[in-house]
Amino acid sequence: MNGEPEVHEEFEARLKAYEGRPAAATGVGRDPVNEPMIRHWCEAMGDTNPAYTGPNAIAPPTMLQAWTMAGLSRRPERTAAYDELLGLLDESGHHAVVATDCEQEYLRPLRPGDEITFDSVIESVSERKTTKLGPGYFVTTRTDIRAGGELAGTHRFRILKYAPARRPKDPKDRKDPKDPKNRKDPKDRKAPEERRPRPVVNRDNAGFWEGVARHELLIQRCTGCGTLRFPWLPGCNSCGSLEWDTVEASGEGTVYSYVVMHHPPFPTFAPPYAVGLIELAEGVRIISNVVGVPYDKVRIGMPVRLEFRRYDEELVLPVFQGVTR
Amino acid sequence: MSLRGRDGLGGRAAITGIGATEFSKDSGRSELRLAVEAVHAALADAGLTPADVDGMVTFTMDTSPEITVAQAAGIGELSFFSRIHYGGGAACATVQQAALAIATGVADVVVCYRAFNERSGRRFGSGVRHREPSAEGAALGWALPFGLLTPASWVAMAAQRYLHTYGLTPEAFGHVAVVDRKYAATNPAAYFHGRPITLADHAASRWIAEPLRLLDCCQETDGGQALVVTSVERARDLPHPPAVIAAAAQGAGRAQEQMTSFYRDDLTGLPETAVVARQLWRTSGLAPADIDVGILYDHFTPFVLMQLEEFGFCAPGEAPDFVAKERLPLNTHGGQLGEAYLHGMNGVAEAVRQIRGTAVNPVPGAERVLVTAGTGVPTSGLVLTADPQGRTRSTTGPPLHL
Amino acid sequence: MNAGDRLPPLEIPITRTLIVAGAIASRDYQDVHHDPEPARQKGSPDIFMNILTTNGLVGRYITDHFGPRAELRRVAIRLGAPNHPGDTMVLTGTVEEVDGDLVTVRVVGANGIGKHVTGTVTVRVPG
Repeated sequence: MNGEPEVHEEFEARLKAYEGRPAAATGVGRDPVNEPMIRHWCEAMGDTNPAYTGPNAIAPPTMLQAWTMAGLSRRPERTAAYDELLGLLDESGHHAVVATDCEQEYLRPLRPGDEITFDSVIESVSERKTTKLGPGYFVTTRTDIRAGGELAGTHRFRILKYAPARRPKDPKDRKDPKDPKNRKDPKDRKAPEERRPRPVVNRDNAGFWEGVARHELLIQRCTGCGTLRFPWLPGCNSCGSLEWDTVEASGEGTVYSYVVMHHPPFPTFAPPYAVGLIELAEGVRIISNVVGVPYDKVRIGMPVRLEFRRYDEELVLPVFQGVTR
Repeated sequence: MSLRGRDGLGGRAAITGIGATEFSKDSGRSELRLAVEAVHAALADAGLTPADVDGMVTFTMDTSPEITVAQAAGIGELSFFSRIHYGGGAACATVQQAALAIATGVADVVVCYRAFNERSGRRFGSGVRHREPSAEGAALGWALPFGLLTPASWVAMAAQRYLHTYGLTPEAFGHVAVVDRKYAATNPAAYFHGRPITLADHAASRWIAEPLRLLDCCQETDGGQALVVTSVERARDLPHPPAVIAAAAQGAGRAQEQMTSFYRDDLTGLPETAVVARQLWRTSGLAPADIDVGILYDHFTPFVLMQLEEFGFCAPGEAPDFVAKERLPLNTHGGQLGEAYLHGMNGVAEAVRQIRGTAVNPVPGAERVLVTAGTGVPTSGLVLTADPQGRTRSTTGPPLHL
Repeated sequence: MNAGDRLPPLEIPITRTLIVAGAIASRDYQDVHHDPEPARQKGSPDIFMNILTTNGLVGRYITDHFGPRAELRRVAIRLGAPNHPGDTMVLTGTVEEVDGDLVTVRVVGANGIGKHVTGTVTVRVPG
């Protein structure tokens, strides 16, 4: 096809004719802005921003396009012009599509109950480009999104309509993902400095970490005087006895104190984050993380409950889930 | 003896107990555990208990800190702890350290120890390779996997508790920073010379480890500081007026750790500082009201407040107000927050300058200065005074026990 | 905060679950985001993350850092190397400009095969 430039020129001229024509007209959001979709979005993104919950919640601004999506429903708003343009590209072998750019400006927050309407225009169609995926054309649309008739944001979106460069590989040439040699477990690939610091395990505290591996949080108990102790040590500070056994923590506790770490950043921890000093129901204290609670919502006295979390293929840590009331 | 004359140490102290573990090629237990067992055995031989011990000495090479052996052996507060460097060359010197402490009344019962898995662990003859983590590493290891990684964060854990207990806000820490920077501003040797700050600056500075802000944390410094110590008699023949060591003390609290003593007490004070304070007041015969200048270790502001309370300058929870009202000239060189962070040695020098009358921010008539060392760790303190024979003093204070 | 300041990185394991959950939460039912076979027929070795999810993750990276009071004003991203299951994307950010309370951050999300996303985000950070 590279040997037929004039053919492309003529084709490109036909494509260019669509610039400036509407792509979607009087589109209506399938649902008003609503809490369930916001919550599903936040769950998927792992976004715990408290601005997106509660009575004064706003929708995540980056959801802007989501409110315009048709899902599996028909798209009555799509114009004939846009359908024709995409049809031309499909027929010329550029049937595959991938989104490449997204530019969004947010003029005002969207809140549950906002009714969404939108209009879209074909801003530009590129000349033919050679890409890693294959040759194709970039199509850029701009959408104005309104809430209750008021402009709330604009959304410029670029897709590549392309002819796939490679035939799909023969399945038997593909690496078997079940073969451990071929498995790309991201946790296996973490550089050492990107992983959490390892627990410091020696003969005096190995029993604690063996308990963690079994999802048990074990407290030492002096068999001489019965005093519970944490951290683990070979002898009792109350009576000096070297004899001890263990009791399993119930898992209930409260935040005795906490620190919110802001600076300096460490590769494996994303500040700000809270580190708690947890007082277990049994009376001993342990440093740990308070999870499930935004860093700025951790408070002294907050009830917490033990859980075990895996951080990489080697590391499981006892952490504490905040119990909000 | 000293290099030039007979010493006063001979015949002043005695070894009263000896104890050891079995000697093997593979002990099967940690070095800390071996140290604890040896200490127990020696105490049993001496007819004493862990509760009698108030001093511990070991080798710098030992992996089991004095405080950790004490913690696991049932030993409480310590008024003396020391280490000697240079491997096996330290052996007899540990006993000399103990004798010095006993002869001077710094401690009553001192245990010297050394314990290792030299054969089954890292062998000196086999080069460096993996070895079992030490007790010191293990103590810190409880915090690191959870991201509590910096000195600021370790201090912040107690600072949070202090604010909570006394119903204060992080602004309470700002007074210390403001006072330090005020003095630093007029100290040409200070890094922050000419750069005073306000409470508003403190409150606007960014979080480091909440509730600590940037201006609660000392800078870090390149530099050196040294001091010369002689007898008071000799000092009188030297060019400067002596700064007499009226009292010197070490302190470690029960269940003491290095910066991570989170598991004891209520985290609103510094028990190790209380051990130092008790000794300094007792030995010097002075009380907080007698002190002219306080040079209180200030790597982080909250621990300055807790020191003031532990030394009895004010009641618990009242230190922010005490500092705000500048009831005591404090860190007149600018402290480590304002002048330089030299692990407190520059503070000792400032105390000397105040007594000499050569400080850049002189406190008129300063004759009694309290100096403290690093907080949140086993610590130490000094009361330095002017030479009672060197000046005509009109004082009604108690006599100095020199 | 000054131009040149770096945001702490955020590491995001690219699981099949994340890709599918992101696609569904954004109402994007394109088969390449949930069905490996059609993805392969379109020249991709496996399913890949849709742009709306990437956009959401970039927004989250910024608001995680600047806090709940920060207001996103503009997010502009360009996709490069696709996010396939089993990869890890590390988002990094550099403050490009501070204009009053408006901060512009240059964001890069790198995965095992290259730069998945490059972009700029303008966020209002109340003083």
